[in-house]
Amino acid sequence: MIPAIGLLVGVLLGLLLHPTVPMWLQPYLPIAVVAALDAVFGAFRSVLDGIFNDRIFVISFLSNVLVAALIVFLGDQLGVGSQMSTGVVVVLSMRIFANVAAIRRHLFKA
Amino acid sequence: MGQHSSPRPARTAAEARFRLRRSLMPRMSGTQVTITILLVTLGFMTTAAISGTGANSLLANARQSDLVSVLDDLAQREARLQSEVTRLENARETLLGGDQFQALNEAKSRAQALSLLAGSTSVVGPGVRVAISGNISSSTMLDAIQELRDGGATAIQVSDKDLAIRVVANTWFADSPDGVTVSGTALKVPLEILVVGDSSVLVPALQIPGGLVDTIGSGGGNVSITPTSDVEINSVVPLPGN
Repeated sequence: MIPAIGLLVGVLLGLLLHPTVPMWLQPYLPIAVVAALDAVFGAFRSVLDGIFNDRIFVISFLSNVLVAALIVFLGDQLGVGSQMSTGVVVVLSMRIFANVAAIRRHLFKA
Repeated sequence: MGQHSSPRPARTAAEARFRLRRSLMPRMSGTQVTITILLVTLGFMTTAAISGTGANSLLANARQSDLVSVLDDLAQREARLQSEVTRLENARETLLGGDQFQALNEAKSRAQALSLLAGSTSVVGPGVRVAISGNISSSTMLDAIQELRDGGATAIQVSDKDLAIRVVANTWFADSPDGVTVSGTALKVPLEILVVGDSSVLVPALQIPGGLVDTIGSGGGNVSITPTSDVEINSVVPLPGN
């Protein structure tokens, strides 16, 4: 419950403060958000699977974000930054869909 | 949470919902705080990323070469506007500092330039004489006129052996059975286009691939272009209300 409220607080903070994203962070932020969302949906799934572990969630959240940013950074250095971010987004979206499907099956048996 | 549930998938939907509810119960522990901080960051990042894409996403997504050409365009435009500013400032100085005679001269030369554009005076000057035989469509004609304008033509006139029409800003072309209709007047081929302007620019403008010579030639017609030192354009556009 507290983390969910935390999510809302974060959204509200963002809406109220209107943060300007620094230039160097702009390519990585959307990727990082998608990677973090993937970790969150994975966590929900593992709660329903009965294998949720706080430590694993924290580590997977951070490593997802870092690895996604790293891949995009590497792509940028190789000159294929936009393709690389597309690839990362596609893969992460597929994982999110798979996780949501598993959650759906648990909750509605459908 | 792991310590409360048995490590196996929920067997029934009710159990799944129970697990979801229990995981949402407020509890205070070190990892809960860490997770909360992470999710606050996630919410903040999401809104930041969303509000960041709103502004000038067109430029943000453009490639480097596109950006360079955009920048180039802007620099050229700035130079053009700058020279316009200089010209207008000079004109203003002349008008302010000079006597009435200068102002009158300025006004006269402007009237001269505008009447050329409006087609209300006849024009004599160096230019090109273009004779067209064979079929011509209105769109080919329009393309040719556009090319001539781009080539810096001062005045243009289209004529057949009886009638001559001055081409100005609001002149229109339509197809007609044996020629082209220009602003409501049907002209029969062979046609002649008289152009006042720099012939060294106008001749290549008509000869570009896909241009007038190319199109007419592929349709079996013939175009002859003659640079002339004294083209005389006599047809004028009647002034409205006079």
